[in-house]
Amino acid sequence: MSKKRQISLSEEELVQLLRRREKVAAEALYDMYSASLYGVILRIVNEETLAEDILQETFVKIWQSFSSYSADKGRLFTWMVNIARNLSIDKIRSKDFRNQNKNQDIENNVNLIDENRSAVYKPELLGIKELVNTLRPEQKSILELVYFKGYTHVEAADELGIPLGTVKTRLRMAILELRKHFN
Amino acid sequence: MEDVKAYIESGILELYVLGEISAQEKAGVEDMALKHPAVRAELNEIERSMELYAAEQSIEPSEALRNRVLNSLLTNLSDDHTFPARKATEEQAKVIALPAAKPNSFYKYAFAACLALLLVSVAALINIYSKLQTSNEQLLAMSAQNQRFSKTVSYQQDQLDMFRDTAYHMIRMKGQAKSPASSMMVAWSPAAKKVMIDMAGAKLPVNDSAHQYQLWAIVAGKPVDLGVFDMKPDSTEAMKTMKSVDIPQAFAVTLEPHGGSVNPTLSNMMVLGQF
Repeated sequence: MSKKRQISLSEEELVQLLRRREKVAAEALYDMYSASLYGVILRIVNEETLAEDILQETFVKIWQSFSSYSADKGRLFTWMVNIARNLSIDKIRSKDFRNQNKNQDIENNVNLIDENRSAVYKPELLGIKELVNTLRPEQKSILELVYFKGYTHVEAADELGIPLGTVKTRLRMAILELRKHFN
Repeated sequence: MEDVKAYIESGILELYVLGEISAQEKAGVEDMALKHPAVRAELNEIERSMELYAAEQSIEPSEALRNRVLNSLLTNLSDDHTFPARKATEEQAKVIALPAAKPNSFYKYAFAACLALLLVSVAALINIYSKLQTSNEQLLAMSAQNQRFSKTVSYQQDQLDMFRDTAYHMIRMKGQAKSPASSMMVAWSPAAKKVMIDMAGAKLPVNDSAHQYQLWAIVAGKPVDLGVFDMKPDSTEAMKTMKSVDIPQAFAVTLEPHGGSVNPTLSNMMVLGQF
């Protein structure tokens, strides 16, 4: 990780500053989360300029609707990444975007993303490869579908031709695998 | 706690974290998280792992984007701080009320004025026309009078000329047995071959409508008719021109039936004058 964080705060501190709409909160928010959110957005939309626009849009939305965030319901990042994911998925599901990228096979898409990414972001290449390799292929594809393509679990079940319960279990297994990896 | 374990293992918490469940299911998960710390802890683990997963594959956006994003946030921020009570002041467009459209009475009045003028003009025209008619009548009457005057003047001039003219012979006809008091002058010009009688100076009884006086000339012993005339009390005629005659020896007037006779009724001879 080559992040050069200028400001770093605890999540509780950041939330308090954000509620007060302090200038420093905006800066800390960006410095702490822009790279993580941009990574997710870029993996979804697969296009840098668009990803940057969506990142900006995401921060504006976070900033403006911060009052609707409640720490009781979960972590700040979960709330933020879902905003970023929804904006990104809306974009790739829009007509314009679909016309640009004619239906591509899920697996091909995953490969394409990896290829594109690796071509541009060589420093990250290793880490991602390593992470992806900890997941089994079926775990990887369910995570891709739900996390990066915005499929509902019903749609994912249809897409993969597996029962609904299996989708949930597989997703849980994939995330458990991630948990193991990070612990 | 079997239920909780089964709930955790169902995979719904993962879907919750990924935001892939319905609002109803979401409320259910939040309810379970409040009741069961194990659910809460599990959720937290899932969230943390997904956050770390994202952090693992985080990508630094371009350096320029930081300022761009912060500017878009802080523009709003400075707005919020600098103008806390700022209300959307509506740019009220200056509305200048148009003067209430007056009922355009000008044309009404103009029309009325024109009509009035027309009526007055027509009245004046009729008045002037009638005056003109009167004037014309007066003028005609005056010119007629004038003509009469000039006629009279020229006639009298003629009479004067006649009296001055030495060519005229004045013959006084004297009253005869029938009317001894009567007399009349007759003028005769052999050069002009004209015979005139002096009506104004004539002394003859007024004749009735059944009779007329007839002037005769005696030429070579024979009576020649020179025309008839009337004696009226209101006659304005001074001299009356009669038929002409060449060489008369005498003139005479007889009273004849209306229109005259071929031969004179000698018994009714009123006046006679020898040349």
